[in-house]
Amino acid sequence: MRCSVVALALLSACDSQDTGDTAGPVGAEWTEVYTSDTTAMSGVWGAGPDDIWAVGGNQDVADVRHFDGSTWSESAVPDGTHLLVWAYGFASDDVFAVGRGGSVLHWGGSAWSTLDSGTTRDLWGVWGTSPTDLWIVGGEVTGTWPLILHYDGTSFTEVPVETDQNQHGGVALFKVWGIDGKVWAVGDLGLIVEWDGTRWVEEFGGPFANDDFVSLWGNSATDVVAVGGRGNGRIARYDGTTWTTEMPDAMTGLNAVYVSGDDAWIGGIYGFTGTYDLASGDVVKDPLVTTDDVHAIWSDGAGHAYGVGGVFAEPYRGFLIRREVP
Amino acid sequence: MRPIFLLLLAACSTDTDTGGEGHGPIAEGILAPLGEPMPSATAEQLATFKRGKEVAKRRFDSSTGLGPGFNVSFCAACHEKPVFGGSAGMYRNFFIAGRVLEDGSFFFGSSAGNASGVVRINYAGAAYDARPAVPDSDNVFAQRNPIPFFGMGLIAEIDDEEILRRADPDDADGDGISGRPNYDRGYVGKFGMKAQTVSIEAFIRGPLNNHVGITSNPLSDEQRARLPVDSSTGSVGLLDRLLGPSGPTGGASDPFHGLSAYAQAAAPDGPLTDTDAIPDPELSSDDLFDLVSFAMLLGAPPIETPTGDALAGQAHFDELGCAACHAPRLQGPRGPVPIYSDLLLHDMGDDLADGIVQGFATAREFRTQPLWGVAAEGPYLHDGRAQSLDDAIRLHGGEGQESRDRYAALDAAAQAEVVAFLLSLGGADQATTGLLPPAAPVPAAGEFGGPATELSGADLDAYVAGRERFDHDFGVDDGVGNPRFNGDSCRACHFDPVIGGSGPRDLAVMRHGIVDADGSFIVPTIGTVLHRETALLGTGIEAQAQVNVYEPRNTPALFGLGLVDAIPDAVIEALADPDDTRTPDGISGRVSRVDGGRLGRFGWKAQVPTLAEFVRDAVATELGMTLPREDGLTFGRIYDNDDVADPELSQADADLLLTFLSELGPPPRPTPADADAVARGEVTFSTVGCDLCHVPVLEGDRGAVAAYSDFLLHDILPAGSRGIEDGSAEMGEFRTAPLWGIAESKPYFHDGASETVADAIERHDGEGLASREAYDLLTPAEQADLLAFVESR
Repeated sequence: MRCSVVALALLSACDSQDTGDTAGPVGAEWTEVYTSDTTAMSGVWGAGPDDIWAVGGNQDVADVRHFDGSTWSESAVPDGTHLLVWAYGFASDDVFAVGRGGSVLHWGGSAWSTLDSGTTRDLWGVWGTSPTDLWIVGGEVTGTWPLILHYDGTSFTEVPVETDQNQHGGVALFKVWGIDGKVWAVGDLGLIVEWDGTRWVEEFGGPFANDDFVSLWGNSATDVVAVGGRGNGRIARYDGTTWTTEMPDAMTGLNAVYVSGDDAWIGGIYGFTGTYDLASGDVVKDPLVTTDDVHAIWSDGAGHAYGVGGVFAEPYRGFLIRREVP
Repeated sequence: MRPIFLLLLAACSTDTDTGGEGHGPIAEGILAPLGEPMPSATAEQLATFKRGKEVAKRRFDSSTGLGPGFNVSFCAACHEKPVFGGSAGMYRNFFIAGRVLEDGSFFFGSSAGNASGVVRINYAGAAYDARPAVPDSDNVFAQRNPIPFFGMGLIAEIDDEEILRRADPDDADGDGISGRPNYDRGYVGKFGMKAQTVSIEAFIRGPLNNHVGITSNPLSDEQRARLPVDSSTGSVGLLDRLLGPSGPTGGASDPFHGLSAYAQAAAPDGPLTDTDAIPDPELSSDDLFDLVSFAMLLGAPPIETPTGDALAGQAHFDELGCAACHAPRLQGPRGPVPIYSDLLLHDMGDDLADGIVQGFATAREFRTQPLWGVAAEGPYLHDGRAQSLDDAIRLHGGEGQESRDRYAALDAAAQAEVVAFLLSLGGADQATTGLLPPAAPVPAAGEFGGPATELSGADLDAYVAGRERFDHDFGVDDGVGNPRFNGDSCRACHFDPVIGGSGPRDLAVMRHGIVDADGSFIVPTIGTVLHRETALLGTGIEAQAQVNVYEPRNTPALFGLGLVDAIPDAVIEALADPDDTRTPDGISGRVSRVDGGRLGRFGWKAQVPTLAEFVRDAVATELGMTLPREDGLTFGRIYDNDDVADPELSQADADLLLTFLSELGPPPRPTPADADAVARGEVTFSTVGCDLCHVPVLEGDRGAVAAYSDFLLHDILPAGSRGIEDGSAEMGEFRTAPLWGIAESKPYFHDGASETVADAIERHDGEGLASREAYDLLTPAEQADLLAFVESR
């Protein structure tokens, strides 16, 4: 089944059932290409335009979907895998996904396998320079201290945020990302830490950096964007030296960011998606395609962007949206 | 403000004859006496309103989800004045704590978990002390006086654009007024002292969680569609949602264009959970629906047509520039809403700045408080620091400074006219000095709240006057606080089931102390009372670092204290058996001796000897007020260090309080549902030995006192328990709690941690252990009989 960008009836038909058999339409506006009324989707990443992973789940099970260029299909995960939050990889046969309860999965090209992370704590983000230099961040919103793990391809090692490097008092880190030898992690209460090669060093984003940062991405080590805010959206910029945070008027809380060239694709609560102009700081909002929260956006670099999200509470529901990149 | 706003105001100010209200017509069907639903409410909505009001009044306890961290045990605790849905005195002020980092970013502090900066002063559980510590990192403290809910649904209906068109964030017109909106989740914020919240549902669910510890799930979209203010996301239609215009941020191109106009009234939020044993959500979705509906249906205060002084005051109001922020009308879908607020943020100057950042609101900014109903909603300003409207006006700074100065320059008569105008904005006929409604009748003797014997003439007048003093909300300007205090009136803690009674668990007085390695008790520097409030704005209340024992003291009922006062010492002394030699039964009641060997009989530790001193002690300790010296009385405080001249409570007032309590009758006994069970229970009560301490009747000079207490000290805690020494009472010793009126004095035990009489029995140890064990051996039917008897006292 294909969903039209404008046809109300067809969109309604998409609204409440699993539709995993199509690539979906490609157009200038976001369009739902997959919906679920049992699971929510949280992360999306791909090794290429024909090899994309979306991860999510509910309180009981994980839900992993794979796109092969024409079809989204379910991908089986080992029993006992908790809700998956984020995915990142290095090749078609080298993909990692992390999630609640310490779940870490690895895709070796033919199946997902479970890695023993050594923790049962919630894991929210994964990124690395290679399969042997992988960073995973997490923590619980009801906890007391964030968690950072490093994976060297063989084992996981906790690399804690030191007590004097968390004046923000963040109890969890939600995403980790890096470029050009730099690595940052962002999270609860505006906490930003940067890996200096030996330890994680806290950085400050200014007066508006007083709410959660949920995700980050960038063009270079001097052009990084972090987004967040649970109620009012926050957009933080790093210029290589300083983080500066703004809180645009009438902007909902943000969860998702993917930087591509002059723009950052951003998404947030109430189904918000839009484009943040890195030069001017202007935000152009997209027409709504859903009123559920957008949790992640990723682009395949070949003209298509994908977004995922949903409702992470009973009754769970999720979506995957797609559009052309201008 | 922008010129267009001035033009509008000018137009409104001449429209005094339309609709009968001074600043122009008002939408029909929205005004109602405070606490009543809007006349436009449908029959179905009225039923919902009624149910929602009951939810607001529902007392939560440990069996229904109270806590674990909490400040109050029910919604109406903070929204009681002058009726449910309103505000409250300063005794219900709560603290918001936070911290500012080196980059200027502000963060809410945590308090027994995340509570959006709300400092929780009670904790029922093992994870924290009974008074959770404030984190050392917190360096900002502000107080909030409860905010009234009247007309809230009408505010929810006001379109964002109606608010935004009055904004002038950069003061482009140069008038010194630069209102700007706050935002919440992309919508213009409307609720809260800093307009930090857009959603009534969230404005209820948040405080329920932060202050009561009650968890809830968001309403479904279907429920939101049925709310009095349709708050669903799809009421305008899916097509609109999908094809709504896009474009640059804000304005008509906002992506939410096409959503229900009032979707923001119930903006989505996540499920809330806590760590107590009650499954989440602790409030059902139906109850939440009713509660939100109740708030949405509360009518706007009944604005009067100004006449005489009020009419003159209205002219001053306009001339002074008050209306530049206190916009008389905002346009709602029903028509003009007489809110007297622009719902925008304004810089209120250094003195009112509280350090709290919420959304876009800075430490100096506050939402213009609506003035409707202001006659009955004191104290005023965000932290209740202003006792009168005159005070509140004079405390305006920042953008309000110029208007304030113009007001101050008026002569006294003109100032009075301004106040008269404000008092005409609804609620004046419902205003009270406490919580008793105007001209509240005196219950008959034998009823709760009635005198011990029928009174008439001057005696009745004195009783009524004493009751008024008991109910009266005093203020910091009257001397409340030293600087800490627990209540701003006597009634603040004693109102269950009527004035003079007991109080809910949330009002338990927190005692604290230090027990050293040797087991010795050390009184903290500030004394053993760790108050809930302070008159020192901008500071918190923290225990000194060495404190390791906290002991809540449940509010006892005051019924019949005059009779207790008249029990001769010898009657009580005759029951004492300190060495358990007179009657070797394991019960060794000991007379409390205080202040030179006088017999103590009042208070949980029998630490106060006479009713007069009990009054003096409460005035000093709980209200933080000084009294005149009285020969022979050693309790109370005759001076303190605040700016109010001592004595802060006159001798006449102290006498009236004593008169009221002396004459306040004992609690009436309820009519038992099963008299036979009560009769059997009475026998069992004696059989298991309850009556060895809970002596049914003592003879006094004013007659028999059926309090079921020997007024002696008994050790009733498990061996090794740590507690608070008080007077001559050891840590584990407590006065035998009187049982009369017990059915109406829940919760139980000295700490208020027992929700049932049965649980209170099970917590007896020490000298009460034998009776408890005997109770445990009873059959369930026998236990039920005993409980029926106790609850019939």
